Parts: sequence; C-alpha cells; structure tokens
Amino acid sequence: MIQITEDSFEKILHSFIHSEKIDLTNVSFIDPYGMVGLLEIGELCMLEDVRKTIILPRSDEVYRYLDRMDFFTFAKRYFYLEHTSTGAGAKYQRSSNSDVLLEITAIEKANDIHYIVGKVTDRAEAILATHLHYDDRAINGFIVSLSEICQNVIEHSENRGFVGIQKYRYQNLGKNVVKIAVMDVGIGFRKSLSHRFRLRSDIDAIDKALLHGASRYDDEGRGHGLAGVRKFVIQWQGMLSIRSGTARLSLIPQWARGRDQERNLTFFPGSQINILLPEM
Amino acid sequence: MVQLIQLNNMYKFDLHKLLHEELGNNFKDLVTRQSGQAIRERIERDIEREPDGSVISLDFSKIGVIDYSCADEIVAKLVSRLLSGEYGCKYILLEGLNENQRENIAVAVERKNLAVMAEMKDGSRSVLGSLNSYLKDTLEFIVKKKKATSKELSEAKNIEANTSGTRLLNLHKKRLVKRAEEVRSEGKIWVYEIL
Repeated sequence: MIQITEDSFEKILHSFIHSEKIDLTNVSFIDPYGMVGLLEIGELCMLEDVRKTIILPRSDEVYRYLDRMDFFTFAKRYFYLEHTSTGAGAKYQRSSNSDVLLEITAIEKANDIHYIVGKVTDRAEAILATHLHYDDRAINGFIVSLSEICQNVIEHSENRGFVGIQKYRYQNLGKNVVKIAVMDVGIGFRKSLSHRFRLRSDIDAIDKALLHGASRYDDEGRGHGLAGVRKFVIQWQGMLSIRSGTARLSLIPQWARGRDQERNLTFFPGSQINILLPEM
Repeated sequence: MVQLIQLNNMYKFDLHKLLHEELGNNFKDLVTRQSGQAIRERIERDIEREPDGSVISLDFSKIGVIDYSCADEIVAKLVSRLLSGEYGCKYILLEGLNENQRENIAVAVERKNLAVMAEMKDGSRSVLGSLNSYLKDTLEFIVKKKKATSKELSEAKNIEANTSGTRLLNLHKKRLVKRAEEVRSEGKIWVYEIL
C-alpha cells in the first residue's frame, strides 16, 4: 500500500512527473502535503499544456477524505479523473465532524488569505485549543504564521498556490499534531532572491530567506514573515521544511527524524513548505 | 463615505469599516501587505485634509488578527512617513487594541526602530516599539500627569532643565506627545500633553 506524504514525495515525484497516468489505486493514506503536491504537479503540467489522468484510490476511506478536503474541486481542473471499480465515487453523506482545519484552498489573491485566516480562526477553538492546547497567544501566532507563509505565494512566487491543514493523532508520540502544507510551482527562492543576492544553490537561497531574513524587496520591513514563522515553529517545538528547486532545508525538533539539508533532489519548481506542530 | 469621526481635534478611523469599504469583503482581519497598502492609502488621502495638530486615531476594537506584513504596511509606514513630515504636524494614536494586536504591531514598528502610542481596550496607554529608557520614563510621566512642562519634569525627576526640555522635545519630534504654547505668569512656555 502506498502513502503519499512528504516522506514518500521524493520517491513518487519522479515517476508521477514522467508518467501519463498517476495511479493512486493502492494509496492507503494521503496527507495535505501529498494532496497539495499532486495538485501542484497538475499545475506544472497545465503550464506545459499537458493533462494527465489520475486513477483514483480504491480505498473508500481515502476517497472520502480527498473529497472532504475539496481535493476534487481543484483536481478536475488539472487531471482526468478515472474511478476504480469498488464503489468509489458513489454518493455518501459528507461528514462534517472532522479534524480538517482547512480544506485545500487556492492562494491567488489577497482575499484568499482573508478567507483562509477567517476559516482557521473559526475552527481554531475546536482544533488548536482543544487538541493542541494552544492558548489565545499561540493561536494568534499560528494564524499570523499561516497568513505570512500563504502571502509569500502571492508576493514572491509569481504563480498561484495551494494550502491545506489537518490534525492527526500520532500514536508513537501519543500526541496530536497539526500538519500544514503550502505549495506553489512559481519561480522559487533562488530566482526570487537572485536580483539582490549572489546565490550558489537552492539550499543557499532557502537558507538566506529562512535563517537570515533575505527578501527580494529591499525596502525596510521586508523579509520578516518567514523569520516570524521560524520563530513560532521553534517556540512550539514544531518541524518546518522548505523545498525549492532541487533542495530542502528543514528545522527538525527532537521528537522528529530527518535531515536538515538535502540537495540534488528531483527538480520541482516553486516552493513546497511543510509544517508540523505538536500538542503542548 | 467618510470614516472620520472628529472629537476634540481627534480624527478616528474605524478600521473595520475601512476594511469593508476598501476591500469589499466581510472579513474582520487585517492581513496581507496588499490589503494594508489599500487601507493606508485611504487613510493618507483622508488625513491630508485635516489641520496640523490633529490626532489621527486608528480604532482596532472591531478588528480580529493583524499580521506583521499588514502592521508594517499600515502602522509602521504611516509612522515613518509622519516622522519624515509627509503629513505635516499630526499625531497617530492606536486605539482599542487587544494583547495579540499590540504584540504584532510592536514587532512591525520595532523593526523600523519606530515608536507609536497605543491605547488598549481597557483604556491603559503605552508606547509600542523602540524608545530609549529615558524617553520611556518621560513619556510615562506625561501619561500619568496628562500634561507637563519642562520645569515640572525637571523638578519631578531631579534633572537639569535643559535635559528635561530636550527629552520632551524629542518625544514631540517622535510625535508621541503634543506640544502647545501657553501663556503663564512666568511668560510663554511649552506644555507637552498626551495625545
């Protein structure tokens, strides 16, 4: 069975980009990073005038989850959707009782950020306060970080993007964890910063933006959005990873595993951000 | 439609109403640089008409979240341009803030080494941003007394008259206190008062 998450994304990215059909038949689990990643593959193909086919999961549970996250709303713009035989696609009652903090949402204009912030604020009490034990100040930090990271898509990518947020129960940690995925297939960190900085690589560009507050704009007060996000994630012992081009830079807390720098990955344009925040 | 409410030379902007008018949506949060820019430009257009000495009050009481980018675009840029003399001799006061808004705005103004007066929802006043300890102390003195002269500050803090005068003048230059000339028995003197 296949899981589509950040961990497996590198393995599947290469094959998904190069095959005509993206076969999700045996997918048993998909998280916001996986969903948003698939949509961005679709966006990338659309930019190249290619429309691939997605063979939808056999698992009814996965299918329902994709629907609950509004994945199909966007997927049908990019892909031909091919159903498998076992009842997926049949009518069913869409559950309103879920741990979805934000369905897959497009980021194209400022009003989208207002919508995202409004929606997450409405659900913050039910998920962030109840399951993550965030107080009012932490919820504010969460929402501001989300706003800053989403508006980077509008400000810097020169393309549209997607965001999705979901709460999970991590059995091995015995904790609830919220996963945020924000992606675009725009110009990426290196190109965005290249007018102002001499950059040797994608990792260098991500490093400059995340750790040194570099911005493509030279006016004072810029470049602090991502720095604020980093501060928030560290404060709440979260994990943050930014992938752009062929590299990924991650801030990894003690409870998680992974490499803080990865290079020579399969080229994927734009930026792909994953944030995991555990309950306190 | 004019958002300004005039009260004793104070011009109040209801940011919630402004948000609806400028962006045409029903949201209550001040987020994104783009939205902040639209709101700031509207405020700039409106305050142009107001006379020197006016206090421009930005009312946050019906606002939800304000993010760093929007705080930079609205508050930090307004204060920065106010200090460079773009709007004449006016003052800015933030009103109706909650703790989270106060914190986010403070980050934005601090980054530009600026300071702005703020009144919280409970009516308490404090300065947000960067201000050295001497000026902070002087400002607290004026907030407590509502108004003060150089002589009063000098006596209360046991400092030289020219030192107290310089401190008050510096607070005025930062547009954190108002300054008015008064004729008293000892002659004309400058009186510094809270916004």
